[in-house]
Amino acid sequence: MAGIRSSILALLATILLAPVSCRSDDNPEPPPPTSRSPQSAPPTERVVGPLTPEDATALASMNDRIKEYVELHIKVEQTLPALPTETTPEQIDRHQRALEKLMREARSKAKPGDIFTPQARPVIKKLLVQIFGRPEGDQLKASIMDENPVDPDTMKLTVNARYPDAIPLATVPPQVLQVLPELAEDLEYRFVGDWLILLDTHAHIVADYIDDALPE
Amino acid sequence: MRICRLLSPASILLLLLPFAGCSRNSTTAGPTAIQAEQSPFEPPIRLPNSADSFKFAVLGDFGTGKRPQYELAEQMAIVHDLFKYEIVVLVGDNLYGSERPQDFEKKFEIPYKPLLDAGVKFYASLGNHDAREQRYYRLFNMDGQLYYTFNPNPDVRFFMLESSYLVPEQVQWLEEQLKTSTSDWKIAAFHHPLYSSALRHGSDLQLREVLEPLFVKYNVSVVLNGHDHVYERLKPQNGIAYFVVGSGGQLRAGNINKETGITAVGFDRDLAFMVAEITGDEMYFKVVSRRGEIVDSGVLSRRKIEESAGSR
Repeated sequence: MAGIRSSILALLATILLAPVSCRSDDNPEPPPPTSRSPQSAPPTERVVGPLTPEDATALASMNDRIKEYVELHIKVEQTLPALPTETTPEQIDRHQRALEKLMREARSKAKPGDIFTPQARPVIKKLLVQIFGRPEGDQLKASIMDENPVDPDTMKLTVNARYPDAIPLATVPPQVLQVLPELAEDLEYRFVGDWLILLDTHAHIVADYIDDALPE
Repeated sequence: MRICRLLSPASILLLLLPFAGCSRNSTTAGPTAIQAEQSPFEPPIRLPNSADSFKFAVLGDFGTGKRPQYELAEQMAIVHDLFKYEIVVLVGDNLYGSERPQDFEKKFEIPYKPLLDAGVKFYASLGNHDAREQRYYRLFNMDGQLYYTFNPNPDVRFFMLESSYLVPEQVQWLEEQLKTSTSDWKIAAFHHPLYSSALRHGSDLQLREVLEPLFVKYNVSVVLNGHDHVYERLKPQNGIAYFVVGSGGQLRAGNINKETGITAVGFDRDLAFMVAEITGDEMYFKVVSRRGEIVDSGVLSRRKIEESAGSR
């Protein structure tokens, strides 16, 4: 019994001490459980946590959904003519609006919580409470709310809605991005009012959101 | 042809005179906006305007499609006729509001057509009003990247960042790029200012915490920003020259807080853009308003610290 316990502890210690990797491909791994303090990490490292194994499992469910979303996004986009890296506004607009329409059709039954899963939502909120609970939390919040005095309800913001063209993108400070799970390219965390949205930047649509995510 | 349409012979003479007769050795000037208003056509510090130097312009927060933007664009074309800058560095908010194809025309291609026709290349960074798709727009030369680096001259390298979404991967990329570059001049350009005295936004302390140590460590000499709709040159911070050039399209008049103590020169009475010339270890610059006033000018030297070997 003691041997099993020590093996589990050793395994847990290995996980805890393992460096957090920075990846840039389209299939980020779920964050491992960690007790590392983000405040002591260099800004070049993503440190999601501290996380318990239960929290990590919860975030893994979100990671699975992100992978599914990205796979769908790639599949849908492959049906469109490839967009060159240097092109015209007409091509950009045509491609973007076609992708928006196809993604909306492909996810016609999508609803809040499909990506920010019910298990992951409280963990994301907990991570945000931690980061905004720091001494510089008010500054972080002020940075997010700069040019973001928006009420998501009046915007009728919902899953699959187009991100409003006239609303600027709220800045997400690097200190906040550092502690949130990595996303695939073309997906970004953004705040609209106090909602955290998952923005498909290529399709211009809200893939999912967490309402009242910004702590009071 | 264009100048002939826009200017009378007298006004052409008035424009040419300042470029012809100023002292090369004047150091970074400290005139305030008030002084500039009192003497709108005082002779500026002469740029060397030498044949083999690298010349560029800086423009930010411009894409309104409205009359003031067009008037400043006309001024940019006038200056280009006299001072052949090769590129324009855009520090974000390139298109406000809608970004349909006609908006690219109205807010960018038409006002800057004389420059585009003259072969001037624009290199964009994105602001918080810019859709991510702008990175595919060929006239912004971003090659599909949200952040990128380029060296238009063997001695000069620009680091174009996406400051509204600075993920750790971008910071890691930046450090690697700064570390391996051996260009004499390292210039960073992005939207949100690390230092700003403007009341509307001001200094972005969160970005400063992350980026400034890298700029100091890796010998960045100049940082170009926008976001605040004014022109401001900051007093050097940790040896680095910071400029806010968010005055390209919609002015926020009277927005500079004069009490911050970090302003070297501020101008918040009209739209303005910046031109600069790098020759050897010196960068000459001047800032021109919509009316053709020279509202700031000077020269600064590049930072020199020990660097490890790497690629240019």
